Amino acid sequence: MNKTTSQRFLDAVNVPLMLWAAALIVYGTIVVASATSGMADGSGMLVRHIVGIVVGLVPMALAWAFDYTRLRGWQGVLVAFGAFLLVSPRIPGLGVEAGGATSWVQLFGVRLFQPSELAKLIFIVVVAAVIASFKGRIDRPADAMKVMAFLAAAFGLILMQPDLGTGLVFVAITFIMLIAGGMKGRYFAVALAVAVVATIVVTQFHLLEEYQEDRLLVFIEPERDPTGAGYSLAQSKIAIGSGGLTGKGLQAGTQSNLNFIPARHTDFIFSVLGEELGFIGAVILLGLYLALLVSALAIATSSRDLYGAIIAVGVIGMWLFQILENIGMTVGMMPITGIPLPFLSFGSSAMVTNLGAVGLLLSVWSRRYGT
Amino acid sequence: MSTYRQELRGRFATLGIVIVVVLTALLVRLWTMQVLNGESYAAKAENNRVREISLEAPRGRIFDRNGVPIVNNRSALAVSVDPTHEDVRSLRLRARNDDTADDPTRRELDELFGEFGGMLGVSATDIFERVNDVNQEALRPRVVAVDAPKDVVAQLLERKTDFPWVHVEEIAVREYPFGSLAAHVVGYAGSISEREFEDSDEYAGYELGDIVGKAGAERQFEGVLRGDKGWRRIEVNASGRPQGIVDEQAPRPGNDISLTIDIELQRVVEEQMSDAMAEARRQGYGSAKAGAAVVLDVTTGEVLALASAPTYDPSVFLGGISKANWQTLTAKESEYPLNDRAIMAAYPPASTFKVITAIAGVNAGITTESQTYTCTGRWTAMGQQWPKSCWKRTGHGTVSSRSGMKYSCDIVYYEIGYEFYKRKLEELQAQARAFGLGTVTGIDLPGEVSGRVPDAAWKKEFNANYPEYQLWLPGDTVNMSIGQGDMLTTPLQMATVYAGIANEGIIMKPHVLKDVLDSEGGVARSAEPEVLRRTGVSQDVLAMITRSLVDVTRDGTAQAAFAGLSAQVAGKTGTAEVMGKDDYAWFCAYAPAQEPKYAVVVVLEQAGGGGAVAAPAARNILASLLGEPVKTVRARDDSR
Repeated sequence: MNKTTSQRFLDAVNVPLMLWAAALIVYGTIVVASATSGMADGSGMLVRHIVGIVVGLVPMALAWAFDYTRLRGWQGVLVAFGAFLLVSPRIPGLGVEAGGATSWVQLFGVRLFQPSELAKLIFIVVVAAVIASFKGRIDRPADAMKVMAFLAAAFGLILMQPDLGTGLVFVAITFIMLIAGGMKGRYFAVALAVAVVATIVVTQFHLLEEYQEDRLLVFIEPERDPTGAGYSLAQSKIAIGSGGLTGKGLQAGTQSNLNFIPARHTDFIFSVLGEELGFIGAVILLGLYLALLVSALAIATSSRDLYGAIIAVGVIGMWLFQILENIGMTVGMMPITGIPLPFLSFGSSAMVTNLGAVGLLLSVWSRRYGT
Repeated sequence: MSTYRQELRGRFATLGIVIVVVLTALLVRLWTMQVLNGESYAAKAENNRVREISLEAPRGRIFDRNGVPIVNNRSALAVSVDPTHEDVRSLRLRARNDDTADDPTRRELDELFGEFGGMLGVSATDIFERVNDVNQEALRPRVVAVDAPKDVVAQLLERKTDFPWVHVEEIAVREYPFGSLAAHVVGYAGSISEREFEDSDEYAGYELGDIVGKAGAERQFEGVLRGDKGWRRIEVNASGRPQGIVDEQAPRPGNDISLTIDIELQRVVEEQMSDAMAEARRQGYGSAKAGAAVVLDVTTGEVLALASAPTYDPSVFLGGISKANWQTLTAKESEYPLNDRAIMAAYPPASTFKVITAIAGVNAGITTESQTYTCTGRWTAMGQQWPKSCWKRTGHGTVSSRSGMKYSCDIVYYEIGYEFYKRKLEELQAQARAFGLGTVTGIDLPGEVSGRVPDAAWKKEFNANYPEYQLWLPGDTVNMSIGQGDMLTTPLQMATVYAGIANEGIIMKPHVLKDVLDSEGGVARSAEPEVLRRTGVSQDVLAMITRSLVDVTRDGTAQAAFAGLSAQVAGKTGTAEVMGKDDYAWFCAYAPAQEPKYAVVVVLEQAGGGGAVAAPAARNILASLLGEPVKTVRARDDSR
């Protein structure tokens, strides 16, 4: 097949995906600008947010240009690098503690990024390769166990940080990839049973850090911690609810600007959006997410092989779970965890990771016809 | 391979459904919160961001009849302690629990408040007492010192870290340019106590700890003086730090009022009372420490002066009275200075009551102005076994009704009283009641008592448990005819009796409020003269009484006291016998006798004879009213 350069380019570009991702990034930047406007170094933070976007274009381009099918051959290296990323915050001189968890790395005193964010993408690629090797059918317990072993390793390392929220993202990614990979229904039933038992064991024997237990349980019992997690939740709900249909206007949210919402530019960015742009603003956001996820699903469907499809599904799972968990926690549907809202939350690590994920999707898309 | 593709498509479709379900679930939740319940969340957000603080309304000022301020407002620096601060709260909680062994020790209190108290000159225990005061809104800072020296305040503010529980604020306090003068008329203000707050509807709309009038005009005219609180809604951030004012409603200051009191006359009255008591003590009446005086305008009922001794300084109540001061003010040894004896004390009126006996006697046809009686000093008309004496044991000889008044001869009134007894009509009581005795005058001051006009029914009921004392005896009416026995009147009541005689038998309702002023200083509302009662006594009889009362000051029992006064004064001395106490001195008068304008009553507890100390005081009060020189009168006089 002979193709012109422009045809090859158009083949490589998935316009809807890029359009929706760009729209989300712009939308997010507007809300971050509003959320940080009243902060001490508001404009500086906005610049950092934009720098994060620009920096994120590099891994996006690299992932796009790289033929994902060749990643399979790097499995060992990726596993090692992924493990290193998850362990790195624990390495003396490299890790740094923030917000009760050691989930950052720094060099020469400069805080660099959250390795667990980048680890999500490596995890997707690695586990996708494992699942794809089962050729679309996972009906042997050993196969399922193999995947679970990867999950358990990653989950365990993240819990040690401890960062329960990010750990749950890995769980969600794994399960959604397993669906696409053809795991039998009864294995899901077993996994669910194991999860329930594990949860009971963990809560009964207080294996979790107290703050984690509080965070998990406060959305069931808000009085558990009225000034901590319960306070955050109550204030977030007030912010979002008080936004009403049309919102109070950018920078006009009283809950946001008077510091009632903690971490309003990061984990609770949706509370700011809900308060200032109202239900209409929230509908626009959810609409953009729907469009983004549908575009990603189209890419998964178009993939020429199962590996590419499962990578795409992994990205969808990551985004969908983070959307559900993040927005869900701000409205009291989900426990409070520290997971950023894709493309919206302030934070370069997450932005770079999400743009890298876009790159992975584009890599799958641009190679749908084979080379 | 195609089935595999189909299977995969099925899985993607499932994934698509999951995506839609998740996003729809969030959408529904948001719809419920933002659209359906948006308003209630908006209210919560508003509640979060806005704090309302109330703005105290300046209390109305109180002026005398000539516009001289008796009670003013000024701002003062108040140093208070935050009872909710952790260090303070823990001690309070320990003092509150039932376990007294756990109460904070003196040492602990000194540790916390010692230095702070030292700077203000207040003991640590006193501070703790204030802080622990339950009569305050729980969160309100407790004022421990008003008018602290500026340098001390500055130090306290600088050392915020040492005294994190200290607040300094400017508060409006009452100012009394005349000190204790007219204290019983103006009264004092203080915070509402928990009991007052809970037990009555009077303080609906107030908050615990609000400043309210507690006595006198401050209390009587609370509704006028109080004004309306304002409020300010401030925006606060999550740490409660104010960000700005949302909106505010300025307080409406209370109305100023002017009283009928003439503060200069009041000064004369109080000086005369205290001089008279000093004189009584000099004459050997060592317990002469208390009394009351009233000056009325007989034609309008205006109270020109009203005094009670001992008095108090209302400024001790500023910022809350200390326990020690309160104990002093309520102690028996202090003679209860907070009581306004002019309206709250009921004394036997003694000979000042004889005017009513005389009027009743003439009205009943028992006596006439010229009817004569023989006074031997001893009276046995009720039988040899029930002898009674005239105060003048040597007797007055032959006396008429008229000269009986002049010399205050008891025998004359025993005779009249005994006649009343024999008629069994209780006409003397009726006459007393016609002059308003036995009921309150209704003066616009709180706490007035009604006194007592004894009669057969009263005595039966009063002695319900002592059957042998229930019968009304001849001696009861006879004693009553000279204002003794069970007869009790307040100084104010006797003032209205004499004012009524002076005002052609019409008693005007006594009142202290002259005008309620509006915010521009104009008159919003004036107290109009009001007829309290028409006694129905004929002008001839009243003229007869006036003649006999003028005799009293001209050449009768008050002759010495009134020497040198050119105006004609109608007056009557009284010397009340009180069981176990020295005699109480009375003098009731009105002047000028021919065209009366003023009625004056002076009562001095345990000060001896009315002619000796009460009459000279009244004389000088009248002299001051009528523009004549005030002079020291030393009337060593046994006359009653």
